[in-house]
Amino acid sequence: MKTLIIEIIEPKRLGELVTVSREFCEKPDIVAVGAGQIPGSFAKAYQVEDTVASNLVSDLASLILKEGYEIVLLSASTLGSGIAAPLSIKLSAPVVSEVIGIKPELVVERPLYGGKAVATYKLKKMPAVLTIRRKYFESADLQGFTEPTLLGPGGKKVELIAETEEKAEGIPLEDAEVIVSGGRGVGSAENFSMLQNMADFFNGAVGASRGAVDEGWVPPTQQVGQTGKIVAPSVYFAVGISGASQHLAGIANAKCVVAINKDEDANIFKRARFGVVSDYKKIVPVLIETLKEEA
Amino acid sequence: MHIVVLAKVVPDYEVPAADFELANNRAHERYKRMMGLYDENAIESGVQLKEKYSASLTILSYGGKDDIPVLRKAVAMGGEKLSLVVGDSDDPNVIAANLKMAIDKLEDVDLILAGQQSADMDRGVVHGMLAEMLEFAFIPQIAKIDREDGQWKVIQNTESGSRELKFGGNAVLSITSVPENVPRIPTVKSIFAAKKKPVNELAEIEGNTMPIDEVSVDIPQIESVCEFIPAEDDIAEAAKILLRKLREERYI
Ligand SMILES: Cc1cc2nc3c(=O)[nH]c(=O)nc-3n(C[C@H](O)[C@H](O)[C@H](O)COP(=O)(O)OP(=O)(O)OC[C@H]3O[C@@H](n4cnc5c(N)ncnc54)[C@H](O)[C@@H]3O)c2cc1C
Repeated sequence: MKTLIIEIIEPKRLGELVTVSREFCEKPDIVAVGAGQIPGSFAKAYQVEDTVASNLVSDLASLILKEGYEIVLLSASTLGSGIAAPLSIKLSAPVVSEVIGIKPELVVERPLYGGKAVATYKLKKMPAVLTIRRKYFESADLQGFTEPTLLGPGGKKVELIAETEEKAEGIPLEDAEVIVSGGRGVGSAENFSMLQNMADFFNGAVGASRGAVDEGWVPPTQQVGQTGKIVAPSVYFAVGISGASQHLAGIANAKCVVAINKDEDANIFKRARFGVVSDYKKIVPVLIETLKEEA
Repeated sequence: MHIVVLAKVVPDYEVPAADFELANNRAHERYKRMMGLYDENAIESGVQLKEKYSASLTILSYGGKDDIPVLRKAVAMGGEKLSLVVGDSDDPNVIAANLKMAIDKLEDVDLILAGQQSADMDRGVVHGMLAEMLEFAFIPQIAKIDREDGQWKVIQNTESGSRELKFGGNAVLSITSVPENVPRIPTVKSIFAAKKKPVNELAEIEGNTMPIDEVSVDIPQIESVCEFIPAEDDIAEAAKILLRKLREERYI
């Protein structure tokens, strides 16, 4: 099947989509969004400098119709969600978002009800547009580079004025082998420094629930869950987090979850491998002390 | 300035997995009905724009009449008018087409706000479809909205930070959650006032359904057996045991 990947130039994200594309074809084509060289070997590559989704939809629709693409793959990201639904209307195509599984014969799976259920769909028409949830597919190794043809420039409706990178200290959340995540139970922004302290001993990163982000204790880029980062560390410490299904959706592939919560009935204990029923203010400093002694 | 906020009433999104059951591939009807969480962020953002720019604010929903009492919460937060297209489809194309029909009737809409994702379908596509049907721009994950020199200036949250974007025309914005748009709790007075507001009910139109078949809906089992580490008596011992076990099983 003729498959097109649309993605910003970021090797891990691209690699995941390449893995997914192999379910449909041997070698996909790509529209690479943004500046830079395109890593990996694609049958045909296009590049567009503009990174604002709504400016791209028209040109992408024309390209897909002209070249007869049957499957269009994006990641479930800010860019992907900005493009996928409008594009589906332009193409009269089905769109399935947040795909977490792909089966033969054009059958795809996606979550429902905050991840408490999984729905299975069969695509009945081509082209079809899919956005793929991050971290559910291995990222393929991308060898070499592909020379692109330039696409656009299209009609600019929305102008990008400035872009700010949120700089977290140390290792990025998605790459960390150990994550210490805090929720509303942590109580304040200051108390998060205790979690950072603990994460440092593991060369890990600090994450948060939506509860902690809504309180303003942690920036949104550190939110873990259905609408935050999807992570798959070796150990995930959930501190003062109740374990709502939407939070668990972000740690489905974490190998070992350690729950620290003072409520023994908290839902997080249903997902945890190890549990400590305690006020985190008691156990976390002791954990840090023990790690210090061992270091 | 006329702002429309799209709001959807859903089954309780905080029901834990262990208590969650399906009937006919949808959440069992015994769960409490409530406004979607991101939809509440969108309503809050709309109310703030109303207060800042003296805009008028319409709440628009597609769904069942039984949910009107829940929708009135949006009115109590500061919405002025409430429109409901009466229908029961889950198909995003059908929902978007019906919302478009209602928007066309309102005529003078400048900006449409919606939640980033509904709290039942986990999908985030209806608003983008509606935008394209209306030929409006669609911009997802908006954290802040301002009006400057006849243009909209918005902050969009991305995976790595944020972007500042500017545009002149009409748009559909999906709203993400930030501390600044945590929904306000309506006053008792406004709750009572909202009960008296008329609801503009619209009959559903037939929209094209999306060309996919729903094959099945299943509840995956979470199978984790939690090993509790006793921490009541000796917290230092508990910390040591935990770290030892993590090492023994080679997690760290
Ligand atoms: C569409 C949608 C998408 C969502 N996406 C996400 C998402 O991506 N990520 C996300 O996290 N949520 C998401 N949510 C929100 C989610 O439903 C929950 O509201 C949220 O995860 C709750 O955060 P919390 O566990 O920190 O807070 P709470 O539910 O308030 O839990 C706090 C916990 O801390 C414990 N606690 C309190 N004090 C202490 C102490 N001193 N020591 C130890 N424990 C203590 C309490 O026992 C409690 O269990 C989403 C919701 C919807 C509807």
